[in-house]
Amino acid sequence: MGWVRHLSGSLADPPEVLGGKAHGLVLLHRLGLPVPAGVVVTTDACRAFLRDGELPAGLLDELVTAVGTLGASTVAVRSGAAVSMPGMMETILNLRPTPETLAQALKSVFASWHTPRARTYRTLHGIPHDLGTAVVVQRMVLGDRDSASGSGVAFSRDPTTGENAPFGEVLFGHQGSAVVSGRSLTGPLRELDREPVVRQGLFAALRRLEQHYRDACHVEFTFESGELWLLQVRPGGFTGAAAVRLAVDLADEGVLTRAEALVRVAPHHLQHVRTPRIASDADVIARGLGVCPGVAVGRVAVTSDEAVRLAAEHPVVLVRPETSPDDIRGLAAATGIVTARGGPASHAAVVARSMGKPAVVGVADLVVGPRSVAFAGNDIGVGATITIDGTSGDVVLGTPPVVTAGADEHLRRLLDWADEVSGESSERPEAERLAAAHAVLGARPSPGPGDVA
Amino acid sequence: MNSPVLHALRCVGSTGLARLASFTGLTESDVESELIDLAVIGHVTHVFGGWSLTEAGRAADAAATEGELEPAGTRPALVAAFDDFLVLNPELLDLCTAWQMRSADGVTTVNDHSDAVYDARVLALFADLHERAVVVIAALAAAVPRFGRYEPRLTTALTRAQAGELACLADSVDSFHTIWAELHEDLLATLGIARWGG
Repeated sequence: MGWVRHLSGSLADPPEVLGGKAHGLVLLHRLGLPVPAGVVVTTDACRAFLRDGELPAGLLDELVTAVGTLGASTVAVRSGAAVSMPGMMETILNLRPTPETLAQALKSVFASWHTPRARTYRTLHGIPHDLGTAVVVQRMVLGDRDSASGSGVAFSRDPTTGENAPFGEVLFGHQGSAVVSGRSLTGPLRELDREPVVRQGLFAALRRLEQHYRDACHVEFTFESGELWLLQVRPGGFTGAAAVRLAVDLADEGVLTRAEALVRVAPHHLQHVRTPRIASDADVIARGLGVCPGVAVGRVAVTSDEAVRLAAEHPVVLVRPETSPDDIRGLAAATGIVTARGGPASHAAVVARSMGKPAVVGVADLVVGPRSVAFAGNDIGVGATITIDGTSGDVVLGTPPVVTAGADEHLRRLLDWADEVSGESSERPEAERLAAAHAVLGARPSPGPGDVA
Repeated sequence: MNSPVLHALRCVGSTGLARLASFTGLTESDVESELIDLAVIGHVTHVFGGWSLTEAGRAADAAATEGELEPAGTRPALVAAFDDFLVLNPELLDLCTAWQMRSADGVTTVNDHSDAVYDARVLALFADLHERAVVVIAALAAAVPRFGRYEPRLTTALTRAQAGELACLADSVDSFHTIWAELHEDLLATLGIARWGG
């Protein structure tokens, strides 16, 4: 059967062989959605490489031949294990495919399976060390080709509230890596009004994928000179209030039975239903990664000294390029923190969580000056009031409306259904009411039906 | 003149006696006596209830750490060990995050430390990383001996966590994470690498 497969709708191998990413691409093909031509090197090949320390015999010839049929001057080489390991392994973009560069790229992606950090990640998440990763090689589609090109990510519904409307981010004139890394400030999906054909194609694809999964889903997309391409799809993943509303709405739409809707919401989700959030119509001046949930309102301080001084009179939000040990006392005085750099496992995130303070990190285009901060060029002076949302990563000027129980009506109905199933109606915590229904329904805590990623 | 207290303030920022004592390994009274000497020559100042560097103090420590790197081969050796530190750094931060938060049913929630099996797994990974960190710190100390101090400090934090003091990994001012962040800052300061954007 060989080491390499052409990506097409007729490919029948399971995710254990193709990896989750390629398995999703096969589904996109099957549904007739636009996917850049590509091939996948199976996880068997990775395991052989990890065992022998060299590419298995025949692999490179097969790959060179297969990539040759793509007719691509440049390709993207991406890892894709059966289980998602975000950010742990190599990705190589804009590769000119020659035998030498392809061999080098394969080896570096395969070898990245065994970095100590990736091993630790797998141990933490109970992922076996002998799975190996598949490698997807696709024709590059260029989000930076011209003014009718760009990249983005989109959910079939709003992942904050669960509302039934497509939600996402788009960045004109850039490749997808710029969107995912947070290096550039993205715009809301409505900016796609500039490219109506792309927008219609994207929204239709999201509807089609929802029908298939019977669940919300998430795609990464690129458009090149007005033509839409889907690069990745993943079902589910909604949490908190959004998970509750999604399940209730899908039952109302007749997509799920009430029993199925109940099983979709894990009791854990209810812990987050009441986490405060900035209302979604607020005017967002910047967005980063929310790494410690909750909303913080306060005056901008740009140093720890300033945070300590200003906090004596008003709540303060500390805004820093990144954190150093000195910022621990500034954060202790502040109600929340924003940093330009960093990810979910940055020093800033670790320290903020240790103090339970809302935190937004990795805000692209944030420049911290001595007396002011600039978010994407908008100057905001020290002492001005901003509000941050440590769930969504939103930063808003002033004091926007904050919602604490947006899912109330949906939650009430879901819990009524739970009581009907369990036959109990005494006063109990919400999670217990749901868990009692799950016990009757014999539910295992399992992901959605199509969760392959 | 090399002053450990002056250098501690450069790495830690404004702080009090307890943290300076922890950083330097000196007693609090020795730290205080040195701070007073440093204040007399204008290198430190006492504001907002903590001690901090003056510009003159920062310049004096920068000159001192530059001097440490003068002997031939010192800088390349320190840079090489710093590169090894940077390989461990994201993994350490992953572990701190896993200690604070965990994923259940696809939802990331605060780790309430009620699952001893999970905690033991994360703690074992900290211990594994610590073994590799000891090797890196030995290499740092071979270039600039004062980096050797980080090893017993990290070991103490890990040992306390293993004995049940859960905050000693990522959630206290003398946690493994805080000491690690101080080491990171110390390396940047010593090598004269500016943090991005300010």
